Amino acid sequence: MADKKDKPFFVGYLTAPDGLRSFLIGIGIGLVLLMAGVGLGIGATQDDPGNGAFRGDYGRQTVTGVMELTPYPVVRVTQGSEHVPEGRTLMLSAGGKQSLMNRVRDLDGQLVTVSGTILDRGELDMLQVRGGQNGIAPAEGDAPEMEREELGRWRIAGEICDGKCLAGAMRPGVGIAHKACANLCLIGDIPPVFVSTQPVEGSEFLLVVGPDGTIFPKSAYDLVAAYISVEGKVVRHGDLLVFHLEPDTAELVQ
Amino acid sequence: MMAAGLVIFAEYWLMIGGVVALLFLTIGIDRIDEDARGAYIFRPLLVPGVLLIWPLVLWRWYALETGRADETKRYKAVRGAHGLIAVGMALSIAIIIAFGLGIKQTWPDHIAPERLSEAGQ
Repeated sequence: MADKKDKPFFVGYLTAPDGLRSFLIGIGIGLVLLMAGVGLGIGATQDDPGNGAFRGDYGRQTVTGVMELTPYPVVRVTQGSEHVPEGRTLMLSAGGKQSLMNRVRDLDGQLVTVSGTILDRGELDMLQVRGGQNGIAPAEGDAPEMEREELGRWRIAGEICDGKCLAGAMRPGVGIAHKACANLCLIGDIPPVFVSTQPVEGSEFLLVVGPDGTIFPKSAYDLVAAYISVEGKVVRHGDLLVFHLEPDTAELVQ
Repeated sequence: MMAAGLVIFAEYWLMIGGVVALLFLTIGIDRIDEDARGAYIFRPLLVPGVLLIWPLVLWRWYALETGRADETKRYKAVRGAHGLIAVGMALSIAIIIAFGLGIKQTWPDHIAPERLSEAGQ
């Protein structure tokens, strides 16, 4: 018992006992160095997330175009804005992890005016549409006929991401958190995007739909955020390629 | 199918949680907590919690209704298990990281797109 009594005992609100002072200083400095090292190591080993971002600096963008349900809503722009040229095919989303599906159901093939904030990552962009009639409304005039070009069946390799985070809403990562985040977006019917290892007909990014032109099937959620090789039909909608993914043909690649 | 299965499981879990929240916050809470009687503003705040832990809510409701709840157990120290749990959690973190690194894929930029049928087909 005498030995135990003589042992130094740390009490937070009292001066540190002599026998523990050097130990505590060592632990303190060691922890700071360890955390700095871990932070440096994690930061240095991450892939460059690129320059995708919300382009608040562009200001609100308002464009007019023809609404197409692929079934994910896109606008074939006929009257552009400062940062959205005419002829562009813009993917659309609502705020957060929500799609516009319910708001555009009756607007397929119609001329519409859409307004919101651009997300931009190089050749991939998306418009996050404002709420209510300020965000999307029928426009006056007849909608011109928009052509689609069948580009045949392809086998392509790469990764399925959600189009919003990839375009700049978040910094795309790797692993289970990335997969969960992407799948939550897809559950909310945010348009999925296939990032191809090499350009397909000039485009690295393809909007993904189900094999029969349906929304992305739940059975394919396992394929999201994994590096895969998969087959499907490719259709050009303006400057956007739409990939009719066939989940049964998917293979993980190493 | 694992991801789709998890989504379906979560959907059913939350739907049942919604029913439990409706029943508990309109009927149950008045029966087991006299301090809650006549107080309503705070009840919507409990909905997110009930959605997640509805089995525990049902069990506590049952235990309190039937008088089977042993309130003394609620104050029993649980520190005895902390050491084991701490070691287990530390080990599981190491195992998860090792497993994650083991199955990490590399970007297959060597695989070029392959056209399987001509355009228009």
